[in-house]
Amino acid sequence: MTPAQSDSKTILIVEDHALVAKFYRMALERAGNFACVVTEDVPRILADVEAGRVHMAVLDVSLANAHWQGRLIDGVELAQLVKQAAAAAGRSLPILLSTAHAMSGDRENMLAASGADDYLEKPVFDAQLLVDKVRRLLANS
Amino acid sequence: MEALEKYLPELAERFYSQIPHHPNAFRVFSGGDAQIARLKQTLQAWAKALFCGVYDHAYAEERYQIGYRHVRVGLEQKYVISAMGIVRAFLSECLLLEFPASDVRLRYARAVSKMLDLDLNLMCESYMHASMQNLRALNEHLERANRDLAEASRSKDEFLAQVSHELRTPLNSILGFTKLILDGLTKTRDEERELLRDVFSSAQHLLGLVNDILDIGRIEAGRMAVRVEDVDPREVLDSTLPLITIPAHEKSLELCDETRNTELPLVRADEVRFRQILLNLLSNAVKFTPPAAPGEPAGRVSVRARVLPASDAPAAPDGHGFLRFEVVDTGVGIQEEKREAVFELFVQGSAGPRHGGSGLGLAISRRLVQIMGGAIGIENGDAGSGTTVWFTLPLAPNQAEQVAPFAHEKPAARVRK
Repeated sequence: MTPAQSDSKTILIVEDHALVAKFYRMALERAGNFACVVTEDVPRILADVEAGRVHMAVLDVSLANAHWQGRLIDGVELAQLVKQAAAAAGRSLPILLSTAHAMSGDRENMLAASGADDYLEKPVFDAQLLVDKVRRLLANS
Repeated sequence: MEALEKYLPELAERFYSQIPHHPNAFRVFSGGDAQIARLKQTLQAWAKALFCGVYDHAYAEERYQIGYRHVRVGLEQKYVISAMGIVRAFLSECLLLEFPASDVRLRYARAVSKMLDLDLNLMCESYMHASMQNLRALNEHLERANRDLAEASRSKDEFLAQVSHELRTPLNSILGFTKLILDGLTKTRDEERELLRDVFSSAQHLLGLVNDILDIGRIEAGRMAVRVEDVDPREVLDSTLPLITIPAHEKSLELCDETRNTELPLVRADEVRFRQILLNLLSNAVKFTPPAAPGEPAGRVSVRARVLPASDAPAAPDGHGFLRFEVVDTGVGIQEEKREAVFELFVQGSAGPRHGGSGLGLAISRRLVQIMGGAIGIENGDAGSGTTVWFTLPLAPNQAEQVAPFAHEKPAARVRK
């Protein structure tokens, strides 16, 4: 898969469940022709964001391996860092927050706290719906 | 007033004869002859104090306490009021008999009547105070119960949220990968097979999760059916260890049954649950022990068992000892401060890559071990690294004497029940 086919956009995927990350990646690559970066390495993520190597991010809320300044952070905090890094570099970077915490009120709270642009409720299984959502966010940014 | 004293026993009798007409009093004073005798005595002392005008401060205090006692045992205020009525009526009769001259009778009647009013006021006040105290205590009790209920409801909600979260993750893979295949987004048969394997393992994970959640539900509701009998640990070990040889070999781990040459005593346990606990600890050990880097010695998972004699285990039921099992690994270990938390629901011990599993296994194991009368805990592994998870099960009766601690030879005879 080469990123330069129809959409030459690269999507950052941060998700601690390997199989869920694999699904996001395949769905975005196959149904949307996007390129994907899958990582939980926070310094690398922020470097990619600053350098403009990624154009949009799908972040899971509960992360097991995202370390920042000596502690574990979750997707909500990571979203704030990503937004800051993008703003500092003069870019706009839409964020789609994904989580399996589907209790009422979670959605609004997490969107507000993270500064993310939209919210994805697991299970996410329709590749086309995911791609449509990502395209819409990219078009608005 | 001494003239009236001779009527006191009769007053007590008459008073007592009224008790069956008060449902509560009837229940309270049904304590047998000794209690009835005591009651009659108290009544006489009271009436005497009234008749003879020795109703002083100390006696008032005593009456006040009696009011408290009545409320405590559930006597209602109408009991004391009707008791007073009986006394008043009886007194009129006595006075008529003793003092035919109306002016003397009237003087006595007034004096005693005044005492009776005083006593009634006192008793009513005492009843009221005692009732208020009862209400306050009841109120506090209800408030506490309310707080406990709110707390329980909150932890139920949290549990539900966690369950929902845990179920959605494997569902995401199952639904996502099947939909990718159905939508024609896969490229080769091999790729489809690979995704189907992922679907299969996610579905298996989901099944394990559902079983664990059902177990937790049963345990919390007190409906976990545990059938405790004499169980041979050898059989449980021999049937459980083979279940993890494949995952252990896949990570090139050495699996070591250090009990192999030891005669193990029978324990009191539910065999199915015993196996479930052992399998849980063994799979945890395999899961959290990484394969060795090139040039390093292979990781190892060992099982040990030893007898804790009753003298070392004062909590043993019926004074028998325990058999202590240890599952020792050379894996990633678990921080001291997390060693209690891993027994809670949905808590996993190590940061780092997700290790599969529901985070319910140890919580279930702890509850099962406790139901069977044993204990479970975590210590450092050998040489300070890795983890030792131990649990105990009570020895079957007559087992403690048969096997010495750390015995490595077969005893001559073995008692089987």
